[in-house]
Amino acid sequence: MGTDQEKARTVIGDFLQRIDKGADGWNDETALWGEGIGLDSLEAAELSAMLEDEFGSDPFSAGGDLPEKVGDVLAFYAIVST
Amino acid sequence: MILLLEAAAASSPDREAVVTSQGSSTYGELLEDARRVATALRRRGITSFAVVEPDAAWVLRLLAGAALAGAEPCQYQPDTDATEFADHASMLDHKFVVTRRDDLTGSFELIRPESLVAEEADDALRAGANTEQPQPLMIRTTGTTGLPKAARHDWRILGKTVANVRPMPEQRWLLAYGPQQFAGVQVLLHVAASQATLVAPFPRQPKDGLDALLTKGVTCVSATPTFWRFLLAEAKSRKATLPPLEQITLGGESSPGDLLEEIQTTFPTAKVSQVYASTEFGSITSVRDGKPGLAVDSLWSESNPTSNVRVTDGELCVRAGAGMLGYAGESPTVSSAAGPDDTENGEWRRTGDLVEIVGDRVMFRGRQSEVINVGGVKVHPLPVEDRITSLDSVALARVFGRPSKLTGAIVAAEIVPVGGVERADVESIRTQIKEAVADLPRAWQPRSVTFVDAIETKGGKTIRGMED
Repeated sequence: MGTDQEKARTVIGDFLQRIDKGADGWNDETALWGEGIGLDSLEAAELSAMLEDEFGSDPFSAGGDLPEKVGDVLAFYAIVST
Repeated sequence: MILLLEAAAASSPDREAVVTSQGSSTYGELLEDARRVATALRRRGITSFAVVEPDAAWVLRLLAGAALAGAEPCQYQPDTDATEFADHASMLDHKFVVTRRDDLTGSFELIRPESLVAEEADDALRAGANTEQPQPLMIRTTGTTGLPKAARHDWRILGKTVANVRPMPEQRWLLAYGPQQFAGVQVLLHVAASQATLVAPFPRQPKDGLDALLTKGVTCVSATPTFWRFLLAEAKSRKATLPPLEQITLGGESSPGDLLEEIQTTFPTAKVSQVYASTEFGSITSVRDGKPGLAVDSLWSESNPTSNVRVTDGELCVRAGAGMLGYAGESPTVSSAAGPDDTENGEWRRTGDLVEIVGDRVMFRGRQSEVINVGGVKVHPLPVEDRITSLDSVALARVFGRPSKLTGAIVAAEIVPVGGVERADVESIRTQIKEAVADLPRAWQPRSVTFVDAIETKGGKTIRGMED
């Protein structure tokens, strides 16, 4: 796993801790919405902003489909970094 | 301005009128210089000109001289960007620019201030200002919420706001605003009317204001709440012992309750006033009870028919007391700044300031242009900012809108921690902020919190609204 993906994983961990949602017990397959972490639009916007602050771009703002799982967010940075 | 200067010079010609980093001038000297400037303007046939000058003594000479000659000056921030200035000078058709800067270029003639002082003043101008003749002045808005506009005023109308000011020669007023701002012009007028001394450092940053408080015998200060927050934070970091002040005037922005308390605690003997004024509407009202907002019973009503303030649909509406004649390029009878007119007699104007009546107070919620639309929820940044700045760990804060693809915008905050970012426990401050805003609607709660060492301001005011 590339460095950016590790950083993204740390950002997601920090974010989940800040919003008091599943700081532990999540993995790449965990869904961002619904029965998974259950992000609402404001929380997703917050994660989007945190990722943008760290990397300058984020998968929620990049256009196209929104990420569905944690792994989709990490994959965005794998693509970006190659 | 010229009439006040004439009165002060006649009463006390040797009294110190202005102190700047370049020296000081008495009222007698200023008046003589103003007459010589007026003479030069008349001889050169200059009827309007731009001023780009940092030294307040020069500004006073030029403004008063222009008033005496009936010429219209228009000031710019001394460090204004040359390209931006060229655009504005072209828009406002400035043919002459009085400045000591060499980098300003455009279709205008540059005149150094000292070359606009005739060797001798014309005898006719020594007879005193002609009150029948217009004394025009153009004041550009700070452009905090958009592009600056230029409002046309007349000194004779502006002077009405200080008609009841009595001489207070022992007072020494700090010029914390730029003299190109409406609030700065108000300070110049007040100082001249009270025949006091203007202490005008340059630059005019809060740290320079603090230096002036500590070393120049300042007794009175008029400044924005943002300026005060910075000044008090600077004083704390320097562990400075602040001198007592006689008068503190806040304006240009809403004054949060915690700041008013801090000012009262820091300067227990000072009289504290909050002024409601704008470049377009002039000085409308002031509050002296030390509480944030306006008293509800100060609003216009059938039992209070002389009030110039009322609330319509959650927005403050005013009747201009000493307002502008119009914007540059408009007919003097048109005042589009005022917004749509919604009253029967046409004299009330919308201000763009959003308010809410809470108990017996009219509380400011921010500018209409500052409202952040978070997924359809309208968020006013001021109440959020007030909660954050009331935290002991926060020296300064700015709340604004940050674009978001998901919700249109999110509420963002920049925080200057007490003691600086390096020494701050930022995670602890994040938690405190979260708790401080927990009872606000979720859309109002900051979703982006960044820690910075300084917050950018414009014209001494905090910039809110949407970030680009």
